[in-house]
Amino acid sequence: MVSAVTKVCNPMGMHMRPAQLFIKTVTPFKSNITLVVNGKEINGKSIMNLMAACIKQGTELEIKCDGPDEDAMLKAVVELIDSGLGE
Amino acid sequence: MRIVDLLSPDRIALGAQAADKASAIELLVSLQEKGGALTDREAYKEAILAREAQTSTAIEAGIAVPHAKSPSVARPSLAAMTLKEGVDYQAMDGQPSDLFFMIAAPMDGDVHLEILSHLMVLLMDPEFTSQLRAAADPQTFLAVIDRFERAKFGEPEEDTPPLIHASTPEEPSAPKYRVLAVTACPTGIAHTYMAAEALEKAGQKLGIPVKAETNGSGGAKNILTSEEIAQADGIIVAADKNVETARFSGKKVLFVPVSDGIHKAEQLIQTIESGNVPVYEAEGPVSAEPEQEESLGRQVYKHLMNGVSHMLPFVIGGGILIALAFLLDDASINPANFGMNTPLAAFFKTIGGVAFGFMLPILGGYIAYSIADRPGLAVGFVGGSLAAAGTSFATISSGATPVPAGFLGALLAGFVGGYFMLWLRRACDKLPNSLEGIKPILLYPLIGVLFIGAFMCLVNPIMGMLNTGLTSFLNSLGGTSRVLLGAVLGAMMSIDMGGPFNKAAYVTGTGAIATAAAAGAAANDIAYQMMASVMIGGMVPPLAIALATTFFKRKFTDDQRKAGFVNYIMGLCFITEGAIPFAAADPLRIIPACAIGSGIAGALSMVFQCALPAPHGGLFVFPVVTNALGYIAALAIGSVVGMVLIGLLKKDLSSR
Repeated sequence: MVSAVTKVCNPMGMHMRPAQLFIKTVTPFKSNITLVVNGKEINGKSIMNLMAACIKQGTELEIKCDGPDEDAMLKAVVELIDSGLGE
Repeated sequence: MRIVDLLSPDRIALGAQAADKASAIELLVSLQEKGGALTDREAYKEAILAREAQTSTAIEAGIAVPHAKSPSVARPSLAAMTLKEGVDYQAMDGQPSDLFFMIAAPMDGDVHLEILSHLMVLLMDPEFTSQLRAAADPQTFLAVIDRFERAKFGEPEEDTPPLIHASTPEEPSAPKYRVLAVTACPTGIAHTYMAAEALEKAGQKLGIPVKAETNGSGGAKNILTSEEIAQADGIIVAADKNVETARFSGKKVLFVPVSDGIHKAEQLIQTIESGNVPVYEAEGPVSAEPEQEESLGRQVYKHLMNGVSHMLPFVIGGGILIALAFLLDDASINPANFGMNTPLAAFFKTIGGVAFGFMLPILGGYIAYSIADRPGLAVGFVGGSLAAAGTSFATISSGATPVPAGFLGALLAGFVGGYFMLWLRRACDKLPNSLEGIKPILLYPLIGVLFIGAFMCLVNPIMGMLNTGLTSFLNSLGGTSRVLLGAVLGAMMSIDMGGPFNKAAYVTGTGAIATAAAAGAAANDIAYQMMASVMIGGMVPPLAIALATTFFKRKFTDDQRKAGFVNYIMGLCFITEGAIPFAAADPLRIIPACAIGSGIAGALSMVFQCALPAPHGGLFVFPVVTNALGYIAALAIGSVVGMVLIGLLKKDLSSR
């Protein structure tokens, strides 16, 4: 398992469009992805989970990827979040 | 922020019709407009469409959440809609969408994200969405949201009284489940689950959330938490065996047979909601009180079934292994030692024998346990063991040959031991409180075991004689009597499909094989033949119905035909209960047809001298049946007769 910590920087947070983009980004990977948000673990491949977590601008995220392509997945996800989730 | 505060009945449309995505959006925008939160309807709609143009807001599972954060929105507002038939909303999972929440959010602040997040927490629960889709009117729809919001986010704060109180005053500050239920039947395969389903469905229909715990053969599922118990209005215990009830102490509890859970589900829930139910008080670990209201016959039946259901796994495991031993052995090596000649056979036979050895103690033990709770267990166990061994004063003092008292002896031990312990516990109530602690660890076990020991030594010779007499009577039965016996046993299995007749026949069969196995009877013993008739009698009803739904399609509804197919599997697995929905729908035609089919199968099984050493398993134990071909023929003939009778008795649907 590999993990990284980052912050959501886009002003709107994880609303639906960023969440859809996030899911599109992680779906091709085989590994599992778990996000730790405010002490709660959520499944990073479920769009409803992502939106339910109410991730606002400045929220700290721990991203854990576990599986055969965990390194590539983690890299892609961190890049996505740091680039402002497409916004 | 609560969803119920952002929504109102006039912004909810249920079962609407829309041809495509565009018309669904138009409907939703019109709903949204009614709340007065929009300053410019067209600008808002454009913002919605612009958002959809980027990516669809359909999430998954038929849910879509179109939304716009726009200057045309004066304050946050929601509109909701369900569609009779879903439209293609370009969802990622390709499914049509039929449940919509449309969000209108003003430009400033995080409220949009909060509404979205809040909605998602609710929508993730499939129970929530299915209740929303089932809601009959906007009030119910709002009530569902209110209930789940309270359950997931806690009670609303004082300063924001939810709108819902005004519109539906009859909804109290509802806990998640207002009525709880526990269902259990002796076999734990079918009735348990049917009752649970019936209760939950009835709850849905009445708009009263119901959670049912199933105490089936695989252990308890969907277990009630203490929090749920604390919040519930009352609990329905629909069980034909004892279930754990001490946890319900102080709650309103309704005790009914499991069949009431299936047939009178709505009535039961309404009774609980009427509040006209006595409060259940468990006295410490004792749970004898409510049973006093039941008839003696029902009590005895329940205790007996508690014993039988605990004994069955031993009989099934042991019986099949012993049967395998005979199947794998070569009798020509040493006929007197059949079943133990080859190492593999001996292995199976030894393990099977050990499992069988537990049968009678378990039977006695769990009957007594059902009667007197924990203090009864040891007493019943010891009594059952003594019955199996046939110990008497004569065998102890003068070395007389013990005659096992068998199944009947173990039954007696269970009941006598159980009721003795019940009496002993009442008698001990008079003792000073300082002795309370030593009752369960000294007085009950010592006095109880001593009593049952003496009692069994006394009655074992009599029970042994009865047992031997019964066995030799059965063995002496001539051809005709045997066939008649088979017919009666078979027919009893399908007269009430899981009820007392069925269980009486079943217990007779299992009791017979338990006794025969303990006595080391031959593989084609009359006891095993009885069991064969019993099982085949129970397999015929579902099969006859399945065949009838295949060959007489016009006599059944679409749903019944689909359920009929499952009955092939149920029948082959010896789950008679599969036939119940059909029998319940049309008892006067289905039951006689099935009973005759079962009776014929049972009789034919005797004619062909089929013998079955295992008490359950259906098709899977056919390999260990003596004369399996005859058995299959008997099953086929019985099922076809049943099917033809159903065909003759039942009229075509259209001609009704």
